[in-house]
Amino acid sequence: MNSISRQSIYIIILSTLLLIFVFVFSFVALIPKGKEYRLQRVQLSAQYKDLRRYQNYDAQTFDDLKKLQADNRHIITAFDTPFDKDRFIKKYKGVFNTLELTKVSSVDKEDGFSVYDVKTSSKISSPSTFYSFLDEINKSDWIVAVNFPIDFKRDGEVISSSFKMKVYVNAKDSNSSK
Amino acid sequence: MRYSYIKPRPKSLFTSEIKLVLSFFSMSLFMLFSTYLFLLYKDAKFVEDKKNIIQEKADLEQNIQDMEDKIAYIQQQNSTSTKIFTQNSVLKDSIKNLFDLVPQRITLSQAKLLDNGLILYGITPNKDVYNFMLQAPLRSIFHQTYSSFYPASGGWLRFVSTNYMDEEIEDVLLNPQEEKKDE
Repeated sequence: MNSISRQSIYIIILSTLLLIFVFVFSFVALIPKGKEYRLQRVQLSAQYKDLRRYQNYDAQTFDDLKKLQADNRHIITAFDTPFDKDRFIKKYKGVFNTLELTKVSSVDKEDGFSVYDVKTSSKISSPSTFYSFLDEINKSDWIVAVNFPIDFKRDGEVISSSFKMKVYVNAKDSNSSK
Repeated sequence: MRYSYIKPRPKSLFTSEIKLVLSFFSMSLFMLFSTYLFLLYKDAKFVEDKKNIIQEKADLEQNIQDMEDKIAYIQQQNSTSTKIFTQNSVLKDSIKNLFDLVPQRITLSQAKLLDNGLILYGITPNKDVYNFMLQAPLRSIFHQTYSSFYPASGGWLRFVSTNYMDEEIEDVLLNPQEEKKDE
């Protein structure tokens, strides 16, 4: 009867040890790690998807902002421009015969903007000059609202007019939208 | 005394078969550990990537919030400026209409436009011209109209016409946009 050789016994023992090690290692370390890997991959994929959504929304918001800034460039600049009495007189002295401004120091808040009251007295040759001024003021470098009381008084060949203006500028604590 | 003519071979535990088996086993173990190391590396990378994505998302969220604030502010600027421009245009039309209202035969010397009213000073050839040609249209616009007359040179009359509007109606005329919004 042929007995099992010593070599074969060694091989069987080694194979058994390897099998046991492979099973233990797989169940204790490899399979849990694999499950974790799969879970992390799914989570990461969801995070990437979410990130793409954020990036798209960011790009869309940026486009909207740029379009809005381009469409409202005049208004944005006008709100950012501090009122300059001398520049205003220089710009509109052609419309009036004479023009004098008194900037009232008190500042109010309206719709989130700082509002300066400016008293204006001027001499005009006819009411149509005043209409031209009201047309021009909407295209000016500042946001100006002509306000009551408005007084027109005949003074020989000219009309003395006095009226109040409200100048709107960005409040200092507001965002600058330049 | 020798019993054999060949030299005895030295016996070793690592025979060629054992060596072959061991090399296969080593390869298997290498693959097993490599897989484990790959999983460890990928897990660490995923965690790192997730951290970066969360940071990037927070930055984007902040950026979006800043841009939305700017958009809201520009919209506010746009709305306020539109309101002001409309007010200026309405004011121009109102003044134009007022002066168009004054007939040729009546001469104004002063006009005061108030928040809720209008005071006119001028001269008229007689009361009838004033009543029919100026007071009648003013009455249709204002709720309260008062007139007083003083004699002037050449038989003409100086007049002061004081006209007031109820505030509710005045708001509608001066802020037509706000009214539309309320509707």
